[in-house]
Amino acid sequence: MATVSGNAQLSVPPQVAQPNLFLRFVRAVDARALILYAILLAASLFFLFPMAWMAGTSLKTVEEVGQPQLNLLPANPQWNNYAKLLQEDTFYRAYTNSVFVVSVVLVGTVTSIALVAYAFSRLEWKGRGVVFALMMGTLMLPAQATLVPQYVLFHNLGWIRTFNPITIPGFFAGGAALIFLVRQFMLSIPRELDEAAMIDGANPLQIWWYVIMPLSRPAIATITVFLFVGQWNNLINPLIYLQRAELFTMPIYVAQKNNLQESPIPWQDIMAASVLFIIPVLVVFILTQRYFVEGITMTGTKG
Amino acid sequence: MDVSSQARWENLLWAAGTAIFIVVGSILVGYAAKRVARWRGLSASEQRKVYWGFLFAAPWIIGFVVFVLGPALASLYYSFTDYKLGKPMTWVGLDNYRELLLGQGAQGRRFSQAMFNSFYYMAVGVPLQIVTALGMAMLLNNQMRGIRIFRLIFYLPVILAGGPAALLAWRYMFAGNGGFVNVTLQNIAGSFFLFDWIYRAFIFTVEAINSLYAGIAEGSPIGPFKYAVPALIGALVLLSLVRGEWTPGKRARAWLVAELVSATLIILLAARALVADPLDPGLLLGIGALAALGALLADYRDENRRYRLWTLIPPLLAALALTAVFVLGGQTEWSLYIPALLAAAAPVTLVLVARTPAHRRPILGGGAALLIGFIILRLIPGQLDGGRLSILPQYLTLQSAIVQPNSLDYLKTEFAATTPAALWLYGLVALVLGGLAVANNRYPRAARTVALVALAAFSLFAISAVVDGVRYFQAYDQIAQATGQPNYHFSQFRAATATWPDKNRVPLWMTNELWAKPSLILITMWSSGAGMLIFLAALKGVPRAFYEAAEVDGANLWQKFWKITLPMISPAMFYNIVIGIIAALQTFDTIYILRTPQTEDDLASAAFFLFNRTFRQLEIGQGAAVSWILAVIIVLLTVLQFRYNKWVYYEA
Repeated sequence: MATVSGNAQLSVPPQVAQPNLFLRFVRAVDARALILYAILLAASLFFLFPMAWMAGTSLKTVEEVGQPQLNLLPANPQWNNYAKLLQEDTFYRAYTNSVFVVSVVLVGTVTSIALVAYAFSRLEWKGRGVVFALMMGTLMLPAQATLVPQYVLFHNLGWIRTFNPITIPGFFAGGAALIFLVRQFMLSIPRELDEAAMIDGANPLQIWWYVIMPLSRPAIATITVFLFVGQWNNLINPLIYLQRAELFTMPIYVAQKNNLQESPIPWQDIMAASVLFIIPVLVVFILTQRYFVEGITMTGTKG
Repeated sequence: MDVSSQARWENLLWAAGTAIFIVVGSILVGYAAKRVARWRGLSASEQRKVYWGFLFAAPWIIGFVVFVLGPALASLYYSFTDYKLGKPMTWVGLDNYRELLLGQGAQGRRFSQAMFNSFYYMAVGVPLQIVTALGMAMLLNNQMRGIRIFRLIFYLPVILAGGPAALLAWRYMFAGNGGFVNVTLQNIAGSFFLFDWIYRAFIFTVEAINSLYAGIAEGSPIGPFKYAVPALIGALVLLSLVRGEWTPGKRARAWLVAELVSATLIILLAARALVADPLDPGLLLGIGALAALGALLADYRDENRRYRLWTLIPPLLAALALTAVFVLGGQTEWSLYIPALLAAAAPVTLVLVARTPAHRRPILGGGAALLIGFIILRLIPGQLDGGRLSILPQYLTLQSAIVQPNSLDYLKTEFAATTPAALWLYGLVALVLGGLAVANNRYPRAARTVALVALAAFSLFAISAVVDGVRYFQAYDQIAQATGQPNYHFSQFRAATATWPDKNRVPLWMTNELWAKPSLILITMWSSGAGMLIFLAALKGVPRAFYEAAEVDGANLWQKFWKITLPMISPAMFYNIVIGIIAALQTFDTIYILRTPQTEDDLASAAFFLFNRTFRQLEIGQGAAVSWILAVIIVLLTVLQFRYNKWVYYEA
């Protein structure tokens, strides 16, 4: 405040020094913060714009989409684009296929990872060091190393054109980074808990289920969210193995829409499908972003 | 029941079966482990622990054997065969690797283009990604209201870029004529003359850089410049060595650079040499490389500064592998792999000798003998195209190696065919640098003398080669112009840089081969939020007290960034670089969504090539070879970077 506070003899009536409203506002605002907010907002525009453009396009007509234009939202939103899509059999099938595949993978992977992480964190056994080192070693092995022979394996099993190659491997605790994440969390649970349970006569399986699992909920939630996003977006595995329109999951469905040799390209349909495709991921991400931040800073992977 | 619900039910049955299989399998694994524990005489309570431990870990163990270890071994076998699904396998030895690594045939050329593309993503994309991620993290590293929302927004693209939807949005925005990006850019450019100038400069720069890169990737002949490249690398490193610290025992940073450069060269050359035609000089280079690699390893000492016996294992294994490769590859010429064995075994012998201080001299003497041996081998007439080697002495005495500057045929064919000489020079540079790096730890003064001599030689060589390179291009252009023949050096680059872009030019994102890769890099920058989070965590760990102390000393923002922030977050930086490089090799989704028929080959990464070869054309054999090459590169990158991460500061 700019009021004069000092020598009593020199004091002047306060209304003389009262600055106007605008100046008061300017003084209250930290200039540095203002600039930072401006930069942050500009950056946010860059990061959010493709999604906004996607949503806007999904409400346009074919004619609008084909022309050079800059307006984000059309004057006359075509909600019909969505209605058309929702009535499509192939869309419904792809969506339910995706939900199905992701659910099966989540159940299998989360359970098996929780079991294995328990062995690596709470149980003391000879050989643990070696097996754990081996597991961490697979982190270095790129997925490409096994992609080709796995295909041969699944081909020989007769699993091509089924959901099996996508869902079944998850049951074997795939993903060393995620096992590591859960293990680190489980290590932080106090030892006394399982010791007490052990004295009460519980076996390791019971301790895992009644003591460790309830306490590990944050870690389990983190890997669930990671796996969900990873699976929902997964393009390459379904692309390689499903090979059949009836089995397509959403990522292939959306990607295929792009490959149609139509002219003009029906961008409004593609974008409407894209919007419906990203909604689950968006919702999950916004609700659980805390887990993402923790998970990434802990393992350094993006899942 | 329709097809998809039938498939779902079947899958559920399989899933239930798998669950049962895992439960039974786990119990069996547990019992087996327990039996082993009993057999090894562990106490009863220990046996129980082993039982439960293996029981719980069994899902991963079974999965590892079935889905990772087994397939990996199988694919190693496939990679030596010609195998199309459903057809019988035929053993072809090293043919797949030879085709891929030497760029032979249509597929080999495609693979080398994919590798060049991947390298572009590493060299251009990763730094841009790192800068974006660090910038975002520094913006977010402020205590401000609502900063968490911005963090969420900045990270959001990572989640979405994993799937095709957001990529399609980009594709639509990138449309060449009338797409959102171009219309916006043109509007901005049209509003003010300075913006217009920047806009055109941007188009010009991107096209120039990318056409130049395309020229290099296509193997546009660069004439004598190819001799200048290794000589310049060598000279630069040596210069930094001569100027750097020379304290014995203490490793100067310059030596690390030397070791890194020579190790990289050596590995590249060894990879090339292993699959080369036996008469190719690359073979001998590879052998020399193995020798130098052995010497580098021999330099390793543990914390107590003692040499370790295991350093001898890799050279021995390499020698065995080399023998095996030649035998399996059907090379029955004994004379070819006996020198290979000897060369690989040489550093082992040398190290054994050097272990006793009294016999140190043989290390340098032996190295020199090896070098001379290679030169003599290389000069055997007829066997190794010895004539071309005459370039080396010519350059060292500053003479021109272009003997017929008036003949187009000579310039086009004969001179362009001197790659062996250039490669040989690479090997020489690698050997000299590697040898010096080793020598410096034991004989700093001798090493310095050698380095000075080598620096002089490399500099003379480089100067001479550059002068000749300019002459070569001039001579070629003159003749081509006079005879009306098209110019074949970097034609795209010349076209792109001939004129300044006019007013109506727009960036042809994605549809043009010069703009395909920049588009992709822009999208990876957009989704660099994972790196941002890692930087952010690191930035939060930097103690405030450091900055306060620096402020007291009067440091400005710039100094604080370079002297405090950057060193303190170097582990995160290091991590992000490793991950970024590995991800560049594995780029797939973006390419799959953004490709057009015209740009597919210009976008393809190593992983995309693998996908094409294996799952579209069902060439399992070659696909397996690609996957092994990729795996080796990725593991090597990781190991190398961890070995040379000494610039990284880890808080003790």
